[in-house]
Amino acid sequence: MKRRELLRAGVFAGAAAATLRPSVAAAQNAGPAKSELTPAGMGVDASQDLAAPGWRPLFLDEHQNETLIVLSDLMIPATETLGAKAALANRYIDLVLAAEKPDVQAAFLNSLGYLDGESMRRYKAAFRYLPREQQDDLLQSMAYPREGSGWTGEAATADPGHTHFEYLKQRIAGAYYSSEIGQRELGWDGAFAHGPYKGCEHSQGAEGDHK
Amino acid sequence: MPQDPLQQTYDAVVVGSGATGGWAAKQLAEAGLKVALLEAGRAVSPKEFTEHMPAYKLKYRDHSPEIARTRPVQKQCYACMEYNYEWFVNDLENPYSTPAGKPFTWQRLRILGGRSLVWGRQSYRLSDNDFKAASRDGYGDDWPISYADLAPYYDIVEKYVGITGAAEGNEMLPDGQFLPPMKMSCGEILMRERVKAKFGHTVTIGRAAVLTQNHNGRLGCHYCGPCERGCSTFSYFSSPFTTVKDAVASGNCTLITNAVVSHVNMDNSTNKANGVTYVDRLTRQVKEVRGKSVILCAQAMESTRILLNSSTREYPNGLANSSGALGHYLMDHVVGGGASGRLPELKATPDANEPQRPNGIYVPRFRNTPSSKKAPGFIRGYGFQGGADIDFNLRSEGYGASYKRAVKEGVYGISLGAFGESLARWDNYVEIDSSLKDAWGIPALRIVMTHGDNEAALMQDASATAAEMLEASGAKDIRVQANVEMPGMAIHELGTARMGTDAKKSVLNPFNQTHDVKNVFVMDGASFVSSACQNPTLTMMAITVRACSNLIERFRKSEV
Repeated sequence: MKRRELLRAGVFAGAAAATLRPSVAAAQNAGPAKSELTPAGMGVDASQDLAAPGWRPLFLDEHQNETLIVLSDLMIPATETLGAKAALANRYIDLVLAAEKPDVQAAFLNSLGYLDGESMRRYKAAFRYLPREQQDDLLQSMAYPREGSGWTGEAATADPGHTHFEYLKQRIAGAYYSSEIGQRELGWDGAFAHGPYKGCEHSQGAEGDHK
Repeated sequence: MPQDPLQQTYDAVVVGSGATGGWAAKQLAEAGLKVALLEAGRAVSPKEFTEHMPAYKLKYRDHSPEIARTRPVQKQCYACMEYNYEWFVNDLENPYSTPAGKPFTWQRLRILGGRSLVWGRQSYRLSDNDFKAASRDGYGDDWPISYADLAPYYDIVEKYVGITGAAEGNEMLPDGQFLPPMKMSCGEILMRERVKAKFGHTVTIGRAAVLTQNHNGRLGCHYCGPCERGCSTFSYFSSPFTTVKDAVASGNCTLITNAVVSHVNMDNSTNKANGVTYVDRLTRQVKEVRGKSVILCAQAMESTRILLNSSTREYPNGLANSSGALGHYLMDHVVGGGASGRLPELKATPDANEPQRPNGIYVPRFRNTPSSKKAPGFIRGYGFQGGADIDFNLRSEGYGASYKRAVKEGVYGISLGAFGESLARWDNYVEIDSSLKDAWGIPALRIVMTHGDNEAALMQDASATAAEMLEASGAKDIRVQANVEMPGMAIHELGTARMGTDAKKSVLNPFNQTHDVKNVFVMDGASFVSSACQNPTLTMMAITVRACSNLIERFRKSEV
């Protein structure tokens, strides 16, 4: 994800309109109908929608939603900063999935189902009910790609566990780092601009931050 | 009491308010001509700019299903976002057709300023290696103008617009009137030095229509990043707040928005146009604007569509189409070749509060140049755009607290992507689809275009040279791409009303006047004879200013 997609807040949009001559400003502000503006163009702030009291999932069932909450808390836990659970990553993922095409919806449920399937196979219980230690064991076994053996010459084989793990992780990471909590975790100070761009500020070979 | 704008006869009716239409309106109105400037879309206000709104304030954080529903074509454009998708045409109202197996993505805006609101702002001059390419390699036709003809107009445009860039003295990329260049990152400086040492190729900072200092009453860039969502300080060039503003301020330009032009009106007794007919976008009423001249700046294919829809008994195959060339020689730069990797030797950590530079680096064409050997397997060439920068690494391994830390350790990425010349071919063309109309009842286009073997060979070569340059720069984990993206993806549509000196083979004369109808002009990318490989908007604007200078002279001599 590019940093320009991890975006900046704004306060002075519109201030520059005053620099236009009145006749031009009048022509340009004659104004579109509201229906011709995006919600963002109208200044709608939807950042608190997911925290609304009485929230219910649109797409996931209760078990899937609870599983996703548990998984997101393990994937990106609270440390010295808040984690994916506090960022309501599950709610954002549910919102987007509800509007997705059936194949994308199915892919997500398939990966979540794989996690539960492996959990049932190994521990005879669904993932969300496992003790923390077993949840970690299961995720550890899926977190890194299976490699071939140098001793036996065995080639690396397809590793569906790792594929499902990465898919779920990227969904959760995308939801987390695009939230305000996630932006703050990256160190964002809340300003929308930090110019001018200074470029490389050291000579070649020198120690220091090679921006 | 103000006069009814439709009861007047204007000296010029300009269709389209984007990069070229804005210039035409400004030049003509400031010269004292009475101008009507018609825009198919609505007016735009800085109040709707969203460049400072963080993604978390969007309901879907840029994954709105409304975009997929109403703009399945437009969403293929990187700049069509949950922030601004209403600027782009609604695909349900603006259809076009393509033959089976020949997809074309047509990404366009209908709003005051058109695509100048969201363009990539990269601004490069063409050279005689482009204008006279046919004489050098035998393919196609030379332009009827040379670099010397256009250079003074490049100067005018650059001085007004404000182009940041660095002079390099490169034979393929003439220098211009530059504002101070933006700075390079450490990785880019490393690439510039090592690529020059190993291959002799130039890696320069991008030349962009973004102000690096206050200029012509506009503020210098504050480096917030996403220009395509509007710019509250007007630091990047877009026509509503520059050329169109000047035109209206002159007192000689009447701006008419929501005017969807269907065709040019002809007086067959004099073989001259006397205005245009448009459909009011909101009321669907049909209206006419009268003018002594008609100047089409509606975007290459839209201008040609208007001419094709203006058939008369004398011009049964489209107005000003006695040559039969109208609609043909459609071009769009080929993209899809390049490479990316990471630069492990550079130690840096990403910073969420880093200024965002709205620009990258550029590698001018180095294949088939006067000083290089003939490249095997293809003619013409490509330029690279790219960059190198530290970024957060959401692709880090593992999970949990260690993953959170790894994301912030970042990865120093480096990449190059090619823009290749699209050869002008007769069999790439647009025509009217007699079975398809837009929401205003105007016959729509059928677009027939494929990239050919030369374009595929360019992308193949570009993938190899990009990988070599990245490797020479010290990059690891290099990934190569040698795709040929579908036509339209470069959003550099050109041709379909080419200029030339032979009225039997071209639509326009060297001053963008149609050979057939002396008071009808096409002053946008439709006039290009070849595509070169440089981003074309700067050249389009220079051509417009040159054509307008000629037209103003002819008005002074009462020749119009």
